[in-house]
Amino acid sequence: MPADNVETQAAPRAGVRALVSLLVVLHLTAVFWGPFAMPPQASELAGSGAVVLRPYVDGVGLANGYRFFAPEPGPSHLLRYELTFDDGSTREGFFPNRDEQQPRLLYHRYFMMSEFLNSLGGQGAPRERADAYAKSYADHLTHSTGAKSVKLFLRRHYVPRMPEVRAGMQLSDKALFRDEPVGTFERDAS
Amino acid sequence: MNREVDYGRQWFADVVAGWNRFWFEPTDPATLGMIRICAGAMLLYTHLVWGLDLTTFFGAHGWLSPSAVSSVQEGSFTWSYLWWFESSWALWTVHVAALVVFAMLTVGLFTRVVAVLAWLAAMSYVGRATGALFGLDQINVMLAMYLAVGPSGDAFSVDRWLKERRAGGPLPVRPSWTANLAIRLIQLHMCVIYLFAGMAKLTGMAWWDGTAMWMAFGNLEYQSLDMTWMADWPRLMNLLTHVTIFWETFYVALIWPRLTRPVMLALAVPLHMGIAVCLGMMTFGLIMLVGNMAFVPPWVIRAMVPGGKSGQGRGASAGPRPNSNLGATRSRSTVAGTRPKH
Repeated sequence: MPADNVETQAAPRAGVRALVSLLVVLHLTAVFWGPFAMPPQASELAGSGAVVLRPYVDGVGLANGYRFFAPEPGPSHLLRYELTFDDGSTREGFFPNRDEQQPRLLYHRYFMMSEFLNSLGGQGAPRERADAYAKSYADHLTHSTGAKSVKLFLRRHYVPRMPEVRAGMQLSDKALFRDEPVGTFERDAS
Repeated sequence: MNREVDYGRQWFADVVAGWNRFWFEPTDPATLGMIRICAGAMLLYTHLVWGLDLTTFFGAHGWLSPSAVSSVQEGSFTWSYLWWFESSWALWTVHVAALVVFAMLTVGLFTRVVAVLAWLAAMSYVGRATGALFGLDQINVMLAMYLAVGPSGDAFSVDRWLKERRAGGPLPVRPSWTANLAIRLIQLHMCVIYLFAGMAKLTGMAWWDGTAMWMAFGNLEYQSLDMTWMADWPRLMNLLTHVTIFWETFYVALIWPRLTRPVMLALAVPLHMGIAVCLGMMTFGLIMLVGNMAFVPPWVIRAMVPGGKSGQGRGASAGPRPNSNLGATRSRSTVAGTRPKH
């Protein structure tokens, strides 16, 4: 490699190296602590450390569990809604819905919204959060459609086992769906 | 006693030298430049898609009302400038500005500034859209942050092209320790991601009995390619499940040795492209591969890019070659790279 083809940046001085090293260690501690302290499974030690690191972890977007498909892939969750209009007519819908949300990334945003509502309803989770999101979705639906009220259902879609599919069961088989009522919401006057 | 003290001193000196070599040895910014292009394009696409339903998500009476998002973020230090904008025109104004920033980052124009702005913008959408996020967003902001740390515009960029134009010809490659620092941070962050992704799965029975991949492939809402024929191949599903969890869990160790790194990177492609093609998460699959790119040495990047060797200056093939152990160069001429002599 001819020397005139490379112009190497000067190496940092010892003081700079020490400062950068300190920042790197602090940053990587936060990178580790984000998922380490992520509820629901987190030790008291992890929780204590999280209190100290939280401003930084939250502030730079490190508060992630990285628990992709963990503990295991389960049923998916959709949000089904029944709108009632002033004239008494009704309309149904659900999301995510591939026919309505394109491209796939947009569909996935809607998918995550229904999954998030389900995750908020987990054991031990404060009920107010799930209620706040359900109300938010309902508020959007009534205002965007002009409906007077909306009934929400969380639709759980189970995955059939391999032997069931080998026996001819389809992924869309009605037996795989369960609807759980979330609530009925009137249109907010605001 | 003296022997113990000598051993302790030597050990400490070795640790310091190794640390300095790992973090501060200058490297060709080619890998960082390529990550900038790919991550910038993904940021641009991600936010173009937000734009399809911008006010539907974030506007007055949007899906994600301020009160709902605040209920989840209570006590958190998550932030977003999008809270200041609710009217349609204001949202669109800042959204278009963000798109311009992401486009500039992708092509590498005023990169030093737009890299910081891109991170601020990406963070703001993540801070505002709680409830509609997934892995893509986590990796997007992670990469945006490290692109702002290093000189991501020093290779394959308009900035570089303009600089050479002003100089009247090709300029030499400029290996820098800050490029190495950014690459190292991405590498270690990827290790943490896979470590926790793997460990979290260990608590799920389906990852042990080998049916987890079936549960993903058999999920209609995720499905983008009908893989139900795999129900006839249960042992294949078991194998895919086991390979996935072993790969994720041991990535943190096996990505570093020269012997196993190519194998781990080669396995990353079918794993993430499988998620992309079969489970409808093309964006997530691709951005994980972009993160893995941090382990590809700069000379490989230059060799793969048409004109990468010659188009970026005569010395562009510089990128000291395979004696780079971890994707970084190993110039012995640098202070940081000098091993202590014993």
